[in-house]
Amino acid sequence: MTATTTTTGIPARPARSRRGAPIARLTWMLARPGADSLSTLLLPGVAFAVTTALLLTVAGGGAMFWRWPDEEWAATYQLLSGLALALLVIPLASLSGAAARLSARRRDDRLATLRLLGATGRAVVAITVLESALIASAGAVIGVVLYLAATPLVGLIPFGGAPIGAAAILLSPLWVAAIVVAIVLLAAVSAVVGLRKVVISPLGVRLKQSAPRVSWLRMLVGAVVVIVAFVTLQSFGVLPSYTAIAVAIAAAFAIGVGVLNLVGPWVIWLIARVQLSRAGTAQKLIAARTMLEAPKVAWRQVSGLAMTSFVAVVGGTGVSFLIKEGGPADQVVLFSDVRTGIIITLVASFLMVACSVGVNQASAVLDRRDLYVGLDRVGMPRGVLEAARARGIMVPLAWVSLGSAALGALLVFPLAGYALITAPASLLVIALAFAVGIALVSLALVATRPVVTRVLEHPERAQ
Amino acid sequence: MNFHDPAALLSASRLTVSYPGTRALDGVDLTVRAGESVAIMGPSGSGKTTLLHALAGIITPTSGEVIVTTEAGLVTVSALSESDRSRLRREDFGFVFQQGLLIPELTVIENASLPLLLAGQSRATAEAHAVAWLARLGLAGLERRRIGELSGGQAQRVAIARAQVTGARLIFADEPTGALDSATSRETMTALLEAATDGGRALVVVTHDEQVAARCSRIVRLRDGRLDGAERAGSEEAA
Ligand SMILES: Nc1ncnc2c1ncn2[C@@H]1O[C@H](COP(=O)(O)OP(=O)(O)OP(=O)(O)O)[C@@H](O)[C@H]1O
Ligand SMILES: [Mg+2]
Repeated sequence: MTATTTTTGIPARPARSRRGAPIARLTWMLARPGADSLSTLLLPGVAFAVTTALLLTVAGGGAMFWRWPDEEWAATYQLLSGLALALLVIPLASLSGAAARLSARRRDDRLATLRLLGATGRAVVAITVLESALIASAGAVIGVVLYLAATPLVGLIPFGGAPIGAAAILLSPLWVAAIVVAIVLLAAVSAVVGLRKVVISPLGVRLKQSAPRVSWLRMLVGAVVVIVAFVTLQSFGVLPSYTAIAVAIAAAFAIGVGVLNLVGPWVIWLIARVQLSRAGTAQKLIAARTMLEAPKVAWRQVSGLAMTSFVAVVGGTGVSFLIKEGGPADQVVLFSDVRTGIIITLVASFLMVACSVGVNQASAVLDRRDLYVGLDRVGMPRGVLEAARARGIMVPLAWVSLGSAALGALLVFPLAGYALITAPASLLVIALAFAVGIALVSLALVATRPVVTRVLEHPERAQ
Repeated sequence: MNFHDPAALLSASRLTVSYPGTRALDGVDLTVRAGESVAIMGPSGSGKTTLLHALAGIITPTSGEVIVTTEAGLVTVSALSESDRSRLRREDFGFVFQQGLLIPELTVIENASLPLLLAGQSRATAEAHAVAWLARLGLAGLERRRIGELSGGQAQRVAIARAQVTGARLIFADEPTGALDSATSRETMTALLEAATDGGRALVVVTHDEQVAARCSRIVRLRDGRLDGAERAGSEEAA
């Protein structure tokens, strides 16, 4: 592409000598928050703030273990904190991606217009990337403040037998700066990816011709792996030693993660099929069709939870059992620390999924602005719209988190049964973490209602 | 107060809709009787859509009122709460817009039966009614298709089925053929007129197309938010 013609071949305006200036001015014109766009500005901002705060806290915690005083167990702590970080990567990545997509999408329509008016693809990308990066920077700075503000609270969490203290998870300013820069970069990259559609085709949204299918082969492969794993694990017998338990847990983790990713989209598709055939109300029908439309998307949104739920049950059961068994004092401390870590990881995952859901739903509502306005006009009750949206999220969420938990329990079945009898309190805490997590996600959904309200209150923007 | 003709399905008196800086509608009177089809015409920006929305209770007029005959008796639309107006639109009116605004994930039959599901009917009953309407509109055999797999004219006919399936007595259409070529437009209009005006029902259609308007039993013309001269009284041209 050159400076004199657009991609459509229509001659552009006379060459611009000061390229940066008009782009900056356009961005400002487009980015000025109108009354209706406040929540679409706030939502990605909040999402970036939460992402940054969580990432800093988790990284701080991880770094703490690298300075761990206890010589003997340092390696174990480092390994486990590495595992927790690995678990948090998936929900974190999908959250920041969602935030970036939303901040890009809120300008889609006007950008498409600009594009039709002859703005070059490059200018459109520049405007959007700049805006996304600005929102991400603002969010990230707020996130740093949140992180600092939360350290006294996080410091109360006991590790190694005593509260870790606020200073323990403080990162060096250099690390903080690096993480902020990484998040802003991620936002910029996601914005470019999210925008490709507008740049390629200004007329934008098209309807897919047919619903995607997900192969049942996934299920077959998944089932074989689970059976093999189950048989192998059972052959460990009554779990003779701690080493065997560690091996069993590591194996169950690796297998579980692989199987869940393979099977997840197919399971969501299957659940949606069953719900579709049983749907007796409009909201159930619409929710089932929404899930069927994009089982992989529905899966991706909650897949971070699948891993975490699975590990929470496998690991939680293991340590509950071990704590109950007793043993040397330092080992008991280690096991309680592992349990603490599991609960933190679980809640953090839910928190990130909740933020992703909020942000994704806000994008989805804006995407379907015309449809929502139209349905409102023909008298579709607002409650039905909301219920369909909620079901489309909560059904996969419940199945994925509780299903993965059940799969985890199955894999360590004898142990789980034993722990349930001997250490019910430990398992109760983990169950509570699930309940809190699911409540967090429904809260996130409620938080997107004002977006629908605003869309319906300003129907003229829809056409 | 407004005099409501007993034969009228809808009567509007002195409807005015003001927006900051513009008066989109300025004292419009209109009566719609059973079996009638009323075309609303006028230049762009003359207030056609505003009038349709005010008649159908989608927006509340700044002043004036709309009275509708429903099964439950006479209803003054502006006196209803937001949710009652929503119910009125859902149960007593049908709508066809320029873009069908059908739910893309749902199949043809699911879209067409949605209003009945919303009214609390069972899925089997709702779908049975929808099948009958779809067949009547020439869509037999396409029930299981997704909306994206239809032509523009077919999609509009699904929208017509959705508008009719509850047995609504008043159908409102805003440029229903605006996005179609002239042959498809003719077919769609035939379907709409047949479906919407038999058995004591009525159609109010906004259109730019003189040929479409000519097939309606009456034309009203708007200019700058007012009814144009002769049609002002409303009933002279009733066919
Ligand atoms: N929500 C609104 N806020 C402010 N002004 C509005 C709004 N809706 C309509 N108007 C104004 O009211 C007038 C009538 O608009 P309306 O949409 O009814 O015209 P129309 O006859 O349907 O035009 P078209 O043929 O282009 O669809 C226009 O001047 C329009 O700008
Ligand atoms: Mg109009």
